[in-house]
Amino acid sequence: MTEPQKHQITDADGNVVRDRPWIIRTYSGHSSPKASNELYRSNLAKGQTGLSIAFDLPTQCGYDSDDPIARPEIGKVGVPINSLDDMHILFDEIPIEKMNTSMTINGTAMWLLAMYVALAKERGVDISELTGTTQNDLIKEYLARGTYIFPPEASLRLIAEMYEFCLEEIPSWNASNICSYHLQEAGATPTQELAFALANAISLLDILAERGHFDDDQFERAVGRISFFVNSGIRFVEEMAKMRAFGELWDEYTRDRFDVKNEKYRRFRYGVQVNSLGLTEAQPENNAWRILIETLGVTLSRDARARAIQLPAWNEALSLPRPWDQQWSLRLQQILAYETDLLEYPDLFEGSVVVRSKVDELKREAREEIDKILGMGGVIPSIESGYMKSSLVRSMSERMSAINSGEQIVVGLNKWADGIDSPLLGGDDGGIFKLDESAARNAIDSLNATRAKRDDARATAALDALKSAARSGDSMMSPSIECALARVTTGEWAGALREVFGEYRPATGVDGQKLSLTNERVDGVRRRIDALTERLGHRPRVVIGKPGLDGHSNGAEVIAVSARHVGYDVIYSGIRLSPDEIVQSAVEEGADLIGASILSGSHIELTAQIFERLAEYGASDDIDVFVGGIIPQGDFDKLYSMGAKRIFTPSDYELIEIMESITGVLEERADAAGI
Amino acid sequence: MTSIPDLVERALTLDKYAVSRLIGIFEDRRPDASARRSSVLAELDTRRPDRPLGVILGVTGTPGSGKSSLLSRVAVDLLGSSETLSIAVVAVDPSSQVSGGALLGDRTRMRFVPDERRLFFRSQASDNDLGGLGPTSFQVCRLLVRLFDCVFIETVGIGQSEADIRQLADRVYLVLQPLGGDEVQFLKAGIIEIPDAFVLNKSDEPASDISFHQLQGSMWLARPFDAEFPPVFRTSALTGDGLGELEADMLGALAAAVDSTASAGAAVVAQNLSTREPYFLERWVDDEWGRRGVAFLHDLLGGPDEFLSTVGGFDAALDRFDETFAESLSL
Repeated sequence: MTEPQKHQITDADGNVVRDRPWIIRTYSGHSSPKASNELYRSNLAKGQTGLSIAFDLPTQCGYDSDDPIARPEIGKVGVPINSLDDMHILFDEIPIEKMNTSMTINGTAMWLLAMYVALAKERGVDISELTGTTQNDLIKEYLARGTYIFPPEASLRLIAEMYEFCLEEIPSWNASNICSYHLQEAGATPTQELAFALANAISLLDILAERGHFDDDQFERAVGRISFFVNSGIRFVEEMAKMRAFGELWDEYTRDRFDVKNEKYRRFRYGVQVNSLGLTEAQPENNAWRILIETLGVTLSRDARARAIQLPAWNEALSLPRPWDQQWSLRLQQILAYETDLLEYPDLFEGSVVVRSKVDELKREAREEIDKILGMGGVIPSIESGYMKSSLVRSMSERMSAINSGEQIVVGLNKWADGIDSPLLGGDDGGIFKLDESAARNAIDSLNATRAKRDDARATAALDALKSAARSGDSMMSPSIECALARVTTGEWAGALREVFGEYRPATGVDGQKLSLTNERVDGVRRRIDALTERLGHRPRVVIGKPGLDGHSNGAEVIAVSARHVGYDVIYSGIRLSPDEIVQSAVEEGADLIGASILSGSHIELTAQIFERLAEYGASDDIDVFVGGIIPQGDFDKLYSMGAKRIFTPSDYELIEIMESITGVLEERADAAGI
Repeated sequence: MTSIPDLVERALTLDKYAVSRLIGIFEDRRPDASARRSSVLAELDTRRPDRPLGVILGVTGTPGSGKSSLLSRVAVDLLGSSETLSIAVVAVDPSSQVSGGALLGDRTRMRFVPDERRLFFRSQASDNDLGGLGPTSFQVCRLLVRLFDCVFIETVGIGQSEADIRQLADRVYLVLQPLGGDEVQFLKAGIIEIPDAFVLNKSDEPASDISFHQLQGSMWLARPFDAEFPPVFRTSALTGDGLGELEADMLGALAAAVDSTASAGAAVVAQNLSTREPYFLERWVDDEWGRRGVAFLHDLLGGPDEFLSTVGGFDAALDRFDETFAESLSL
């Protein structure tokens, strides 16, 4: 046998080996527990090695499917789970003791974990065998994703109690997953992504230490359970350096600040979903290449390679992906992991002067930012003061203006925008996913069935025990498991805790934004607004609203700020509003326009509800509506026929153009009224 | 177009669309809107001659004092305290000096009560970047006191706005947050002399106790002639602590206005917005025409009181002033 070479990987016995691939997943779930179960089983049969569950927005925000705010969103962006009965269907014929299950669940993370544990108990599976992750990072929910429910203190208590439960009971479970993914989606630079995520993890460990539940040994192991979920963008060399910086910084902070002695527990463990922000609606087939390149950033370097990867689909900027689109992304991972020689080599970049220098620069900048945040008292104060949010919003505005000015090239969007139409968008379905319309009815039927056959006294007692634990400061984990077993529903569980903790509304990101909209076109719109002010007798007013439960507020915020910048009086009320609330706002405020931003795929239902309410108020002639979001071309006619005056999608990235367009709506109306 | 009598009839049932449309007439800055305002007021006063006018409660405070969150809770609580009490909230936010546009964010804090006609919320832009009342806040209050029992007017309090809100509101609450510094800061703020009552919000914060004592200490220096110092309410919009006392004080102000024989100590005066017209006429002239306009009003028109009585009413005064002053300029 020849001696292993430096370019080879050896195992403990000195044999040359090939690395095991990362866990290959697809973020998926839709319509109903049954449809999602079929999808999971077919994905596993295709060679996927773990599950990544997408829940629908009502489940994420703690509402039952029959709650009025839930109705338009049932089964849209993920699977609806109302009770343990749904979990039985979702995991039917899937051996959970062998499965690595990742759940993108935050506000209701404890509840979903409790149901998973209850499922194991009813199946007779030893819960200590369960492996997986509940995302459960509320900081990034406040900053970017928007499915928080409770105020920060209560949220962090829930997270801490999950760590405390899992450490001994489900030792291979990641109770939370510090997410920088959504920060990059919200515009974070690599430095901000590093700093905010690490500051978040440090603050969480500070809280765990402060609670004093763990002895030193347990605390060290708890540090080892902290895992991360990151993003990987198109600047893939820098992204690779970012991942190395993450690993080194985490090792240093856990050693120096938390005195973790065992190297194993200082290891930076992360999963990744590559960037969706940079995926374009224009020439969508180009996204396939972007996804590939972004995947390289988190796989090339062995020392900083992801533990689990899930990839978006090429057409994500158009609609929710179809099974085929997901399969295409899955195949990319399989080719990279099994066909190429990537996994045969040790780290390729060790010793590289260039990589070292870049990593050091990122680390230095990140440390400065982390010091700043910790100096403010940690992540909670910097959330509450709006510091982190406004930093992100600023980065996002800078990104947008770089794209607007052409300084940052996006192929097919602001450069080489003319191209041949994609044949991938042909076919009967127009290249996009159509949801099963009966999903909502089925979810409500099964919810009613659960309620009808459960022991109500047991459910009520379980909820009372949950509330009393929440009030007394006892752990809510065991009472939650009893709730699950007693067939308490998602809305009841969250409702009980809402009673105790209240519901949180954080700072919106609209304060202090700077947009580099300074050219003559801005002056032009301002003159038109001034003229309209004279004609109407008041400055034009626009209500910008996000109807429904989808919390991705960046687009709406940028529009709100742009509108003020050109001279509108803008009423922006944050996320998670019902169409009722938005219309009532517009009516009470005497608005001329409503702008509704919808990214959840529920644009038809929500827009219809807005027009219904306007008609009920008798205000249809006074208020015009424009809609923005991820809206397939095929739905335009439907929205126009309802009365929508303008529709904007990610391809309308020029803010000034949007402002000119909505101002045109008001001018047309004033002309028609002869004012 | 819905006619004014129709809108008035619907607005009296607090129909949101009709109330909003009428507010639009009072915010309308086109010259021909005065006539429509007069006819709205005439229509209202004919239909409800005996209805007591609503009470205006001013809520002012520095940015970050939590007054929007506080007001949100208070309004919903007050609504729950009575079957009939109706409340309008007018919240004024600063405008951008550059674009003229404004981001009106106070509504974010307001809790949504579906289909509740007794609560109406309207945002206004101040038209300048310092805050304070908007150019049409007084106009809109003339309407709202005829429709609602209680009108809250919420402003960011800096400088001139305190004097304005003092003139407009029957009772002014100044919302403060616990301060880190010494008592001088309360005095420096220069605002301690204005309000009828203080609200020290965020009582859940550690600095709250110290600030409370500092505020009481400052009172001796700032208001040496007061026989009785104004009350200081300690509240937390977050936990709800202390809101009961504040709300009781507000309900007292509302009751005192209806029952004019109420204790003399109450700061609430008889409800007649016309007594405030001279002040707001002068403020309007100042906004529209500047110091020369104000001088003209005093020197050549006999001052705001006399001019108002000569021309017969606020809306007529605005119209006539524009004409008269423009004529004088063209000479």
